[in-house]
Amino acid sequence: MALSAAKPLIRRHTEIGIFLIGAILIVIFASTSDGRWANLYNIGTIMQVTATLGLMSLGVAIVIGTGEIDISVGSTFGMGALAHLWLAARIDPVFAALAAIAVGAAIGYVNGWLITRTKTPSLIITLGTLMIFRGIAIALTDGFSFSIPYAERNGWTYSLLGGGDFLGFNTALFWLIAVFAVLIVVLKAMPFGNRLLAVGGSADSAHSRGVRVDRIKLSAFVICGMLAAFAGALEAGKLGFADGSMGRLMELQAIASCVLGGCLLAGGRISLIGALMGAFVLSSIQSYLVVTGVQPQWFILILGLIVVGAAYGDKSLRNWAIRK
Amino acid sequence: MTQQPLIQVKNLDLYFGAFHALKNVSVDFNAGELIGLVGDNGAGKTTLIRVLCGIHAPSKGEVFFDGKKVEKFHPKLAIDQGIETIQQSVGLCDNLSIARNFYLGREPVKRIFGIPFLDFAKMREKSSRVIRQFGLRENVSADDEVERLSGGERQSVKIGRAVEFKNRVVIMDEPTNHLSVREREHVNELAVQLKEQGLLVIYITHDIFQVHKLADRIVIMENGEKVADASTDSMSAEALEDVIRQGGRVVEKEAV
Repeated sequence: MALSAAKPLIRRHTEIGIFLIGAILIVIFASTSDGRWANLYNIGTIMQVTATLGLMSLGVAIVIGTGEIDISVGSTFGMGALAHLWLAARIDPVFAALAAIAVGAAIGYVNGWLITRTKTPSLIITLGTLMIFRGIAIALTDGFSFSIPYAERNGWTYSLLGGGDFLGFNTALFWLIAVFAVLIVVLKAMPFGNRLLAVGGSADSAHSRGVRVDRIKLSAFVICGMLAAFAGALEAGKLGFADGSMGRLMELQAIASCVLGGCLLAGGRISLIGALMGAFVLSSIQSYLVVTGVQPQWFILILGLIVVGAAYGDKSLRNWAIRK
Repeated sequence: MTQQPLIQVKNLDLYFGAFHALKNVSVDFNAGELIGLVGDNGAGKTTLIRVLCGIHAPSKGEVFFDGKKVEKFHPKLAIDQGIETIQQSVGLCDNLSIARNFYLGREPVKRIFGIPFLDFAKMREKSSRVIRQFGLRENVSADDEVERLSGGERQSVKIGRAVEFKNRVVIMDEPTNHLSVREREHVNELAVQLKEQGLLVIYITHDIFQVHKLADRIVIMENGEKVADASTDSMSAEALEDVIRQGGRVVEKEAV
């Protein structure tokens, strides 16, 4: 039968599930929203949200690849947003974004250092840093928000960093594409990527072959922190303001994007394109609920239901593909 | 002995928490020697070689490589020194292809503007050529994941890798497990060839009769201690087996 021909493909490509789910949802959303979902403006908004969530998801996917997890990315995003916006009003936004990325790298380094030094599960450490950096973000802003007046939101570097559009899409989307391309090459075609996936597949085996397991994990956390903070900077650039709550609960969406996208939480098997598709699906759902007038508080509930349903659907698909 | 030992282990102790895994072990290993390291399960043979290949650092005692005291223990340093190990339970990452496993940690690269990119053509071609000699089927590609391989094929990847990168020392931990009779003979011949090329070969097994035929010297371990160290000329396999029996246990025959 023709369907059986797809089995090897599904076995090889864990991200097929999320693409099917995405395709089905697009059809449903487009046909039930009376044109309010599937229009150029709304798709642009979805792409902007996908871009920032996607950058974060790519970083989380890299960490998942080593067999660890980073749930502190929501707070890192917030710290990146604050750093960028506070500085962008004072210096050129390029340097503000670089400073935000440096903040993210520092947070990632703290996570990675604590995890590799103390051999404590990354779930616990990053749960702690999630709260620590959220606390710092709220304390820094003292309950208020930073903002840049409209009049000052000009200059091409400000637009370049999330504050403007290019070819009809927010510039964040192009950053996402660039970062994705670089990461794919690093992961698939460079020694670092080979060792990173080896660490996730079997840390003991990688260690026995001379791979510096701790350094690889530390690097993964640094990359993840940098991407989350950069995503925060782009979001802040888009909004023109930032407060201490930015990025709250985004860590859950990023992890959901990765898992839906076919990244194995045990490590060693990740799909970057799957994680991006996961981010797109979550952003689409969010947008659908907004344009159809569903109260925002339902979002997290419906998101949860879809995650559970999609995970079950993906598992069923996989079991079917494994059977002869 | 006139010649300086290539690896010298002096009064080595190793604790895992409260467990005393190695007790005051001293052994000399010489270049150009094939040494059978024999003992029961839990005797400490694997633990000893895991110190030599840098996985474990000793709690007390010293290891000298080529006359120099080893200060830091890490597999990377051991591999850089030319110590290749065929581990029994670790060494392969199931999620990676054969070629990627083969070169893990020392990937060949082509540099473009100084950036290292994996040299896929070389990785594929060389790894499959080397591993085919050790029983990898023709229809298995170097791009296939190790997860799909049988026990014997997994072993052949590890052996092929050790032979390819052989340098000064090859340590084989139960190398003939999971192998067919013909492959087993091939591995045993290979161990002798490596020795004849002047390498130090440390061959770990349960089966004293098998290794007695190959080895120049047999070291027997029991409960973390060295209980015998004799040349195969001076002691017969039966006599050595008695030593193990007197340790209170009987050597199990290697399962086929």
